[in-house]
Amino acid sequence: MNGMLHYEFMRIALVMAVLIGLTAPAVGTFLVQRRLSLLGDGIGHIALTGIGLGLLTSTSPVLGALVVSVLGAVAIEVVRARSRSGADVALALLFYGGLAGGVILTSAGGGSGASLQSYLFGSITSVTTTDLYVVAGLAATVLAIIALFGRELFLLCQDEEVARAAGLPVRFLSVLIAATAAVTIVIAMRAIGLLLVSALMIVPVAAAQQLTRGFRGTMLAAMAIGVLSAVAGLAGSFQYDLPPGPSIVLLALAVFVVAVAGGTPVRRRRARADTAGEDLSPASGPGVETRVDAEAEVLGG
Amino acid sequence: MKDAPPFAMTSGLVRRDGRDILTGVDLRVEAGEVLAVLGPNGAGKSTLVKALLGLVPLAGGRTEIYGAPPARFRGWRRIGYVPQRLPMGGGVPVTVREVVASGRVARTSRWRPAVLGDRAADRAAVDRALATVGLTDRARDSAHLLSGGQQQRVLIARALAGEPDVFVMDEPTAGVDARNQAALATALRGLAGKTVVLVAHELGPLEPLITRTIELERGRVVDGTAARGAVTG
Repeated sequence: MNGMLHYEFMRIALVMAVLIGLTAPAVGTFLVQRRLSLLGDGIGHIALTGIGLGLLTSTSPVLGALVVSVLGAVAIEVVRARSRSGADVALALLFYGGLAGGVILTSAGGGSGASLQSYLFGSITSVTTTDLYVVAGLAATVLAIIALFGRELFLLCQDEEVARAAGLPVRFLSVLIAATAAVTIVIAMRAIGLLLVSALMIVPVAAAQQLTRGFRGTMLAAMAIGVLSAVAGLAGSFQYDLPPGPSIVLLALAVFVVAVAGGTPVRRRRARADTAGEDLSPASGPGVETRVDAEAEVLGG
Repeated sequence: MKDAPPFAMTSGLVRRDGRDILTGVDLRVEAGEVLAVLGPNGAGKSTLVKALLGLVPLAGGRTEIYGAPPARFRGWRRIGYVPQRLPMGGGVPVTVREVVASGRVARTSRWRPAVLGDRAADRAAVDRALATVGLTDRARDSAHLLSGGQQQRVLIARALAGEPDVFVMDEPTAGVDARNQAALATALRGLAGKTVVLVAHELGPLEPLITRTIELERGRVVDGTAARGAVTG
């Protein structure tokens, strides 16, 4: 463990891992509640076109990814708002277009398969101090947005109609959450890679919600799980010479499995306590149904 | 300055997939009224209250909230909307208190960050709302693990927490057992002087609180009567 701190790139990568572990699950909690778990995946695909543009024009691939993925996120929200039925297919078109465009642009720019690979699956040996500053700035932006708009975003993800009837700017907030997800993708792409980035937004949340009772609790637990898997996964990948992105994601999945196993008795006990408190209720039919539903959904998520 | 009425709809027409859900509905809700919207399933009751709030667009006619069309209405803090149920969403747990506290959002100015809000007033309002619906001791529990009737009370508490002038409730009594219906009626009795529009199948214990009912059938108002001993205006 101490050995890896002798390498500068590992010190940078570890700080990055902490930032990624904090931001990705924080944004992910809102995405999961909004049933947009795969949004991050789609944005990751679109970001690849940005990388290709950056390589082709010999500017910064990170900047290209940032601009294109934020634009892509806005486009996704516009499509979602415009049409209910066609949205699904429109999103798929956008995702595949992004992926194919990225590969074509990269090869047109003379980029090798290796450089593309490093963005698809992450490569920490190539990160620089400048990268770290960029990532730190973006992570601060994401956390600030969540701190400032957390309450509004919470209501939006909870019930969009209630949010509208509360006078919230629903369209703006929808774009804001999608754009924030896009920024998070760019933060995490160097270390984890575009194809797996979304996992760190979703898996820690799925693990946390097995154990928690509230939204805030879920978010904080997910952030803790995120940091833990990012740092431990990175250290493990250094130790055993494994690729960092997949190591981090597999660790997060392992935490999820443990949480499901450990969470089941917790939920049983809680459900029993609820039933006990409701013995007075003459007709507990609907209540029981709701409870079973909720449990099934939690397990499913 | 005399206030415009909370809701005024003239010839309201809502169409979905080429089918008329509401046809030519005229409805004016005065301040202080407790209006029950009755009717069979599929009569357009929920659509009507959503159209009043601008959540469902009108294909014809017009509707106003306090004199402004929904798109230009800015006084949303005066409105408390209680939806039919608590959506499960992606299954992220949420505590009763978190749901109720989100009812305060309309009271904070759009661009003022939440961290600078008046936290003491928020907390006090949330505490009051929880006490009114009798769920103070469940505040830290996961809302989705409560019974249907208790969830309904959570949603009402969320509206109460916003301290609005008008409550719009979509089937607050659907699937709610007798004990929870009584708790609901008690909570509503505490709203004296507020305007209430509620959708219901049958009134049950809420009946004494209602000042006027309208009945919908296939998207039309077929019957409108003032309830016994009603106070209007």
